[in-house]
Amino acid sequence: MLPLRWFARRLLLAATVVFGAANAVFFAFRLLPGDPVRSMLGSTNPTPELVEQVRHELALDEPLAVQYGRFMRRLFTGDLGESFQLQQPVGEVIGDQLWPTVQLATAAFALALLAAVTLAVLTAHRPRVRRIVSTLELVAASTPAFWTGMLLLALLSFRWKWFPAMGGSGAVGLVLPAVTLAAGLVGVFSQVLREEMERALEQPFVLTARARGSGETAIRLRHALRHGLIPLVTLAGWAMGALFGGAVVVESVFSRQGLGQVTAGAVAGRDLPVVTGMVLVSALAFALINLAVDVLYRIVDPRIDERSIG
Amino acid sequence: MTASQAGPATDATGATGPTGATGIAPVPRSRPVRAARRGPRAGLALAGAVVAVAVLAAVAPELLAPRPPDTIDPVNALAGPGGGHWLGTDQLGRDVLSRIVHGARTSLLIGFGATAFAVVVGSLLGVFAAAAGRAVDQILMRATDILLAFPGLMLSLVVVAVLGPGTANATLAIGASLLPGFLRLARGQALAIRDSDYVRAAVVIGRGRGSVFVRHLLPNAVPPLLVLATVNIGSAVIAGSTLSFLGLGPQPPSPEWGAMLAEGRDHLDTAWAAAVFPGLAITVTVVAVTVVGRALQRRIDGRDGHGR
Amino acid sequence: MSPRRHRTVIRRALLSAIALACVATGCGTGPGGGDGRDGRIVYAVDTQPDCLDPQISPYDVTAALGRNIFDSLVAMDADGRIGPWLATSWQISRDGRTYTFRLREGVRFHDGTALDAAAVKATLDHTVAPQTKSQYAAGLISMYTGATAVDARTVRVALSRPYAPLLQVLSTATFGIQSPTALRANRGRTCLKPVGSGPFVFAGWARNRRIELDRNPNYAWAPAGVDHQGPAWAAGLTVEFIPEAASRFGALSSGQVDVASAVPPSHTGRLRHADGFRLLRADQPGAPYTLLLNVNRAPLDDVRVRRALQRSVRLDALVKALYSGAYDRAWSTLTPATTGYAATTEGSWPYDPDEAARLLDEAGWTGRDEDGYRTKGGTRLTLHWPYMTSLMRDQRALLGQGIQAEAKRAGIDVRFTALEPGAYLEKALGRDADILAFSWNRAEPDIMRSYFDSGQTGDKGGSNAFGISDPRLDDWLREASATRDPARRAVLYAQAQSRVNQQVLALPVYAPATLVGAADRVRGVTFDVQAYPLFHDARLED
Repeated sequence: MLPLRWFARRLLLAATVVFGAANAVFFAFRLLPGDPVRSMLGSTNPTPELVEQVRHELALDEPLAVQYGRFMRRLFTGDLGESFQLQQPVGEVIGDQLWPTVQLATAAFALALLAAVTLAVLTAHRPRVRRIVSTLELVAASTPAFWTGMLLLALLSFRWKWFPAMGGSGAVGLVLPAVTLAAGLVGVFSQVLREEMERALEQPFVLTARARGSGETAIRLRHALRHGLIPLVTLAGWAMGALFGGAVVVESVFSRQGLGQVTAGAVAGRDLPVVTGMVLVSALAFALINLAVDVLYRIVDPRIDERSIG
Repeated sequence: MTASQAGPATDATGATGPTGATGIAPVPRSRPVRAARRGPRAGLALAGAVVAVAVLAAVAPELLAPRPPDTIDPVNALAGPGGGHWLGTDQLGRDVLSRIVHGARTSLLIGFGATAFAVVVGSLLGVFAAAAGRAVDQILMRATDILLAFPGLMLSLVVVAVLGPGTANATLAIGASLLPGFLRLARGQALAIRDSDYVRAAVVIGRGRGSVFVRHLLPNAVPPLLVLATVNIGSAVIAGSTLSFLGLGPQPPSPEWGAMLAEGRDHLDTAWAAAVFPGLAITVTVVAVTVVGRALQRRIDGRDGHGR
Repeated sequence: MSPRRHRTVIRRALLSAIALACVATGCGTGPGGGDGRDGRIVYAVDTQPDCLDPQISPYDVTAALGRNIFDSLVAMDADGRIGPWLATSWQISRDGRTYTFRLREGVRFHDGTALDAAAVKATLDHTVAPQTKSQYAAGLISMYTGATAVDARTVRVALSRPYAPLLQVLSTATFGIQSPTALRANRGRTCLKPVGSGPFVFAGWARNRRIELDRNPNYAWAPAGVDHQGPAWAAGLTVEFIPEAASRFGALSSGQVDVASAVPPSHTGRLRHADGFRLLRADQPGAPYTLLLNVNRAPLDDVRVRRALQRSVRLDALVKALYSGAYDRAWSTLTPATTGYAATTEGSWPYDPDEAARLLDEAGWTGRDEDGYRTKGGTRLTLHWPYMTSLMRDQRALLGQGIQAEAKRAGIDVRFTALEPGAYLEKALGRDADILAFSWNRAEPDIMRSYFDSGQTGDKGGSNAFGISDPRLDDWLREASATRDPARRAVLYAQAQSRVNQQVLALPVYAPATLVGAADRVRGVTFDVQAYPLFHDARLED
């Protein structure tokens, strides 16, 4: 099924992407205006001796080529350096914060998928409902996540106290952030699903099924939905990006810990090792997801035999 | 069709495909015939009117804003809607309506500016990649892959981390995150035209390959790019307001919707106006721009469909 | 299906999706949620410290938390008097350059190490050691030349020059005495493993979530002024990090946390009137939020322009609008809570737009451009005010916009620009700005020396960012820092404060206060002299 050469090429491509991202971020940060050492020493006014000492310890006083060599050597051993702000190895920072973000993203993804499936099944080829629902989807997709989050927090947490204001703890604390994050994805998922389902509903095999006396619900769930879910796989890479980008906003609005919060803090505070680490981790995750999608697509031949489903 | 083998066919729908990981929602194309049949004309007219008002606000805010956006009135801070202020005042007593009107300029500037940047730079690079031969093409496509490896907001954040905050830098940051989609689309179109029958035919009958290429390029490659652009503007506006909300966008006192929300959020329960209306402005504008964009898309797609 | 049923289905689906995700990812209930606190107080703060070693970190949050972990040699009371703490008595040599401390007996650090002269020496040496990379503490004792253990309970501290504020400095949380054993064992990692002798023992730090402190069961050496001697009432302190003000406040009002720091001033009114909650407030000593003015370049080299700026801002209304009466506007470069504050400055520079206009005319800024700004010889009257977003707590970005709008009415174009830290410090150190603004919490009027002594310029680690060089101020502030006569110091500081206002070397804006919200079930949260909350006397009631 999977030609080895094809797979090797894809793998090499993924590696190139990660390596390229590492290079891009290394050189981008050497172009930063201002002095990174002063940035990392923060808001106080350090003595010149301290600045020079820290510069030396970070080896930022060495030639660019030497710095580059060290950066790459470390990278290959998996060493991402130490965070300026948190005084902790970057690998540890990311490791610590990975889990809450994965929780949030998984919950949001599940929610979005479920909502999209429900909406698509209920509205495909039903023009009147469809119009209302797609207007709502459009509104949801057009509303910035930070504002949705603000409003949900203000009403459901602060005013009516249905949900905890402090995001960190437990499943209940996950509801509002997950809903906020999911809101941006539902529209896209359900549009793709609906398009595919409607296409499927016009196919001969559906007519056949109808002729055989299958109920409408059964047709939608058994035939059309299956058909519609497959293109969603191709959205995996996009969804991951949207989930991660959304996490930056959602985590800071809801005071949740996680990679998004770490990234926002690192960008604002110029914590270059952490930003670099995040860039590499996200590049790696993307490369792997895209690889997985490609492989999946090789396995699930897109030209599915309709009769085998029907 | 695999996820990243970028043939023209994939690229034509690049924004909808798996590689549209630009942080911008891939908007699937609705099939023209069906959509046209259903398209509610009243909705489109309303959306058009909203876009017109937003553009007017951006171009000549003085015509719509009852007051200057930066005149403070500390005695009347955080007033509710009504009285002298239709939409209330913010913490400094500035008129929220006037600030929303004046904020349209910055918000739309970022949305349109970022998209324009992506269209122009993306098309030039894409056509260049298609025209300049395999080596250049490979390099450019790998560079695009690298850009695509960042979630859109992450890429914008990194760009802002390098360049610093501000309107121009935020525009550039968002433009950069949109770039790969346009680059791929433009390259795909260019490749298709380069290898098309009429270009080959032109070469056969002895006309210059280059001139034919260029002559066919514009009318054929521009419409799909415009479609992609129109559906991306709304997302770019949202991305801009998000950067602003995080404090990385336009700097005070120039009013901007996301920044207004960031300032107003601590007062949602006491003075909701300052934390609600700027958000409404974003949502309404983005919805309207998207509706208009989709209508445009249907028209162009329709024409496109007949033209080939 | 009716729409209503749709919604029910969707809601059920949403909840089950979350439940599924939770099964898959195993979200649990963290501590601090709900009941079962076992006598621990849950305290929400806005910032996570970068480091818990008070001699390394310059940040307030480190000092504030550290105050509950570390004890200092001496203690300062509310009236600014120094009393015993880990040192029971001390002598100062006639030349003011040698301090001899007699240490309390029976004090043990959390790791069991006994307090002795070597421990004090270890902390002071640790402070100034280059590898410590102290960002604040070392600068405060730059005159320290070394310490000697005379005997186990007597330590002698030597200075290169007399320094009257030394006892104040040593009373702060920044000079909390650390266990010498831990300092040795944790070298390079003291940020993560603070070991002191205070009422609470550091028990753990979940990054970006919380710090756990447990009660020190052996604590018996609290300074005078506390409610009770002996171990803290509360079994422990769970410090939760909630950066968003609204969420922090929401967590307090929903009972998720017992105490919340940094209550937004706009919420203080509600807290005062809410049942079951109290607002605890402590005025901060030190320098108020102050605009430093660049007197060494045009246009602010002209005192008339500086005075015009000073007189054109309606500070009373502005501070009241933004801080709802929780903070007071400032009149002097020392806050009212600081020893040596000159109340005579109050009302001495009222809002006076006519005077401002007259001064600007007199200074030659008579033209007007199309935007209504004043010009001279075709140049617009422009002031550059860069700031760093990370320092803009307390809505200072809005305050800046308010000042900017007020200046605009006077025809002054204030360019209030956010910069990232590197670029900001470059501008600040290069004096490429007209205005820079910050506040400084320190219970000692000597803070003025850092702002206005010509030797305390930015490149030397001081706060005199624009290199103000005023011989009279130099003389007064230096004499005040060397003399120990309180009356003389008061006179000198009063003179200095009025001189700063008169010359408009700086524009004080507002005096910050620590605003803490507490549920009624928590009693006994107090403040130290730097307005940091203390939990030794705090307890949960049922």
